[in-house]
Amino acid sequence: MVDTTKNIKVYTTYGTKSAKPVQPKISAKLISKAKRPLLVVSSAVLDEEILKRAVSIAKKTGMQVAATSTSIKGFLNEDVKAKYINIHALATYLGDVDWTGLDGEGHYDLIIVLAHKKYYINQVLSGLKNFTDLTTLSIDRHYLQNASMSFGNLKPEAHLEALDELIENL
Amino acid sequence: MSKISTGSFSIEELENVQITIGSIVGAIEKKVEDEGEMGPTPKPGISGLRDWDYKLLNRYEPVYTPMCDQCCYCTFGTCDLTGNKEGACGIDMKTHQAREFLLRVITGAAAHAGHGRHLLHHLIETHGADHPIDVGPTNIKAPVTQTVTGIKPETIGDLESVLDYVEEQLTQLLATIHVGQEGAAIDFESKALHGGMLDHVGMEVSDIVQISCLGMPKSDPNAPLAEIGMGTIDSKKPVLLCIGHNVAAVTYIMDYMDEHNLTDKIELAGLCCTAIDMTRYNMDKGGTPTAKIVGSLAKELKYIRSGIPDIIVVDEQCVRCDVLREAQKLSMPVICTNEKIMYGLPNRSNDNVDDIIEDMVSGKEPGALLLDFEKIGELAPRLVMEVAPIRKAKGITALPTDEEFKELTNRCVHCLVCEMACPMNLPISDAMTAAADGDLTPFEILHDKCIACGRCEQECPKDIDILNVIEKASQKVIREEKGLMRAGRGQVSDPEIREEGVNLVLGTTPGIIAMVGCSNYSDGTKDLYDIAKEMLKRSYIVVVSGCTAMDLGMYKNEEGKTLYEEFSGSFLKGNLLNVGSCVSNSHITATTIKVAAIFAQRNVTGNFEEIADYVTNRVGAVGIAWGAYSQKASSIGTGCTRLGVPVILGPHGSKYRRALIGKPYDSDKWSVYDARNGEKIAIPPAPDYLVTTVDNAEEIMPMLAKSCIRPTDNNMGRMIKLTHYIELSKKYLGIMPDDWHTFVRTETDLPLAKREELLKILETEHGWEIDWKKKKILSGPTMKFDVSAQPTNLKRLCKEA
Repeated sequence: MVDTTKNIKVYTTYGTKSAKPVQPKISAKLISKAKRPLLVVSSAVLDEEILKRAVSIAKKTGMQVAATSTSIKGFLNEDVKAKYINIHALATYLGDVDWTGLDGEGHYDLIIVLAHKKYYINQVLSGLKNFTDLTTLSIDRHYLQNASMSFGNLKPEAHLEALDELIENL
Repeated sequence: MSKISTGSFSIEELENVQITIGSIVGAIEKKVEDEGEMGPTPKPGISGLRDWDYKLLNRYEPVYTPMCDQCCYCTFGTCDLTGNKEGACGIDMKTHQAREFLLRVITGAAAHAGHGRHLLHHLIETHGADHPIDVGPTNIKAPVTQTVTGIKPETIGDLESVLDYVEEQLTQLLATIHVGQEGAAIDFESKALHGGMLDHVGMEVSDIVQISCLGMPKSDPNAPLAEIGMGTIDSKKPVLLCIGHNVAAVTYIMDYMDEHNLTDKIELAGLCCTAIDMTRYNMDKGGTPTAKIVGSLAKELKYIRSGIPDIIVVDEQCVRCDVLREAQKLSMPVICTNEKIMYGLPNRSNDNVDDIIEDMVSGKEPGALLLDFEKIGELAPRLVMEVAPIRKAKGITALPTDEEFKELTNRCVHCLVCEMACPMNLPISDAMTAAADGDLTPFEILHDKCIACGRCEQECPKDIDILNVIEKASQKVIREEKGLMRAGRGQVSDPEIREEGVNLVLGTTPGIIAMVGCSNYSDGTKDLYDIAKEMLKRSYIVVVSGCTAMDLGMYKNEEGKTLYEEFSGSFLKGNLLNVGSCVSNSHITATTIKVAAIFAQRNVTGNFEEIADYVTNRVGAVGIAWGAYSQKASSIGTGCTRLGVPVILGPHGSKYRRALIGKPYDSDKWSVYDARNGEKIAIPPAPDYLVTTVDNAEEIMPMLAKSCIRPTDNNMGRMIKLTHYIELSKKYLGIMPDDWHTFVRTETDLPLAKREELLKILETEHGWEIDWKKKKILSGPTMKFDVSAQPTNLKRLCKEA
């Protein structure tokens, strides 16, 4: 079992409110309980090991994947609900209560982020933290201060292990 | 007053008395007014174009991504604004973010305007206020200035009142940052747009004055090629390195070297935009630049640490704050030539050059502040000739020896702290492991991606000078860093606009891609080359400037040619133009203004709103600031957006705190008036942003094509643009874009080769009605195609109004 709550050193601080460190098992529970979760992935998901796990999460939960950047290429032959969207546009629409989502069926209640550039997704999460009521969960390998909950800073192999544990508990 | 004009006058009865009238307040504006050309908003104040801003901000809403949850502007605070809370003064997070963004914009605008003022003072002193403005073949010498201020400058002296206006407005904008001023985010946004517009005026003044006085290329598509890259510098010669953006002082060094036959004996190298302008100096009559370009800001610390420069001359902007500290460690004297950067050095402007040289050669002083250009011109070449033999004999460098390198790579404990501290989380640890095993390739890859900020070194618990390790490992690739950059050509000329304007407005030239800005790239320099090459092959006009113009020249095709050699430099489809340094960015917005003036015969004088409306609806141009890091980049981009040119930033651009993004699903936002009758007409949701960011170079490709779609595209133009959009989406994302159908008005908008296939998709997936016999669309499109429609956002321009 990986302790994903240990290293939460913040290297570039945003201020007073920091993500609550979260264990894989709790993350799985949060995802399972959500009514309209959205998995937001980026180009780093094209790493074979990460992709395998992202696909597993999407398949096991049936949740929509917002495939930002070039990540859609990883989902073309997978039986998952994945759609390309630019992440800054997505961040904008997530802040709009009238948006009906990527599938037209309504807004989301839990945003899960994986495989992003740390500094980029942290900005997106900063916008969501300050201007929306959305709950955000980072299962990336860096501690993301601006999420509601986040894994801590992890070595690559520990990160994969944590994702496996999360998938097991879905 | 009407009888008084500028010039010199003698008074008949008074012998030897002559009166000279330099300038008359308001005379230029009055002349324009008398000619009946003045538009409605000459020299607009803060609220002068607010209505226009509101129109833009209604369609493209500000999206805030704070860099900090707190406000620490005043002693009421620190206030925690998390969750859009209000601080002690009543400001909420949204409004504070808009204020923060405004502050960045006016900081950038002030940097350019301050640069321009410095140049203008200096060049009026050396050339006289009556020196004519000469920027090449044009009737609109200063398009941005004329559009914003209503002033049509003829001499460099005329530019003084232009800068007076910019400076006054910047002061007013800065005043609004103070606690207890503006309380609405949208009005801070409008102010930011105002600051961005002013920035382009300041930049234009800076560049046209130096083009006019310093012999820089004047709208020259064949401006000479200059050498670029760390590998081009001959380190055996004394190396004089200039860093910054203001070339004024360096021209004296170049003149002295020329007059004393030192040009071949000294290697004159530059970093950042000073380097670009060194290659433009005295090149208007042809020739080959003797100065060489090391590269952009990302090369600054790397090159200093190499120990190759023997002395450093700095001027202003984008110069690292630790230049003196770093140089001092390596016995490199530093000469500060501009009041903006003085590094605590003694002011030696009134001292004897021999004494200053002696103090620096002996090591008594690490450098000097020298504000006398004549003295700088003499001192720098003489100093480098004296210092270089001493330094080279000692072999001074910060880079480790082979043995030290081995020890350093073995010392690493792989704690990953450096990677966490790295702004890009680069994989330093793995590279250390590979290097310890004798494989330098991972470090060679990092060398290009690393922006040499040095944050990793600040954090390393084992005190490893990580940047030095990267650079030591990359010596082989550094030696091969040799490229060519076309020296900045300046403005786009009127004849070029006449030839190309119609293609742009109708869309048959698919668009202008303006690649500008700094070197804070997310994945190294090669992305720029890939983006430019892809779009050039597709016949887009690619315009570049500044750091982007430099880094673009570092790569070659299979035949060993850079893009500058592969593609011509005219303002024609499929051409690559380098307009010049940072301040030359004004020529890009000026080009769109010229399209309105020359192709569409619009009056530009004091008529910003109408021109911006024209550009928004008709000129398919998009800016990319791929590595934008500076406040100047934010003001440049913001100036583009007020004129209706959308801007895409690399992922680091999200740290500017705000984007302007539209909602394509909100159909109310996507309509304009038809100026013929005032009726509302639907327009395509493109561009669907005015400022946004993307993750990587592949994602940007289809977005660029989409961003050039405009309501006035004719069928051929729309077909060409849609073809590129669909092709690029398939090529780089592997998918058909899901919104392509929203840009289709008639079947003739569809790419010819795929027309039938696309009609089928429109019928089956979108429920459009198709007449298959005639292969015509019967119903479905939300927009009509009317070749005569006159789209405008301004009700006042409609006939019924």
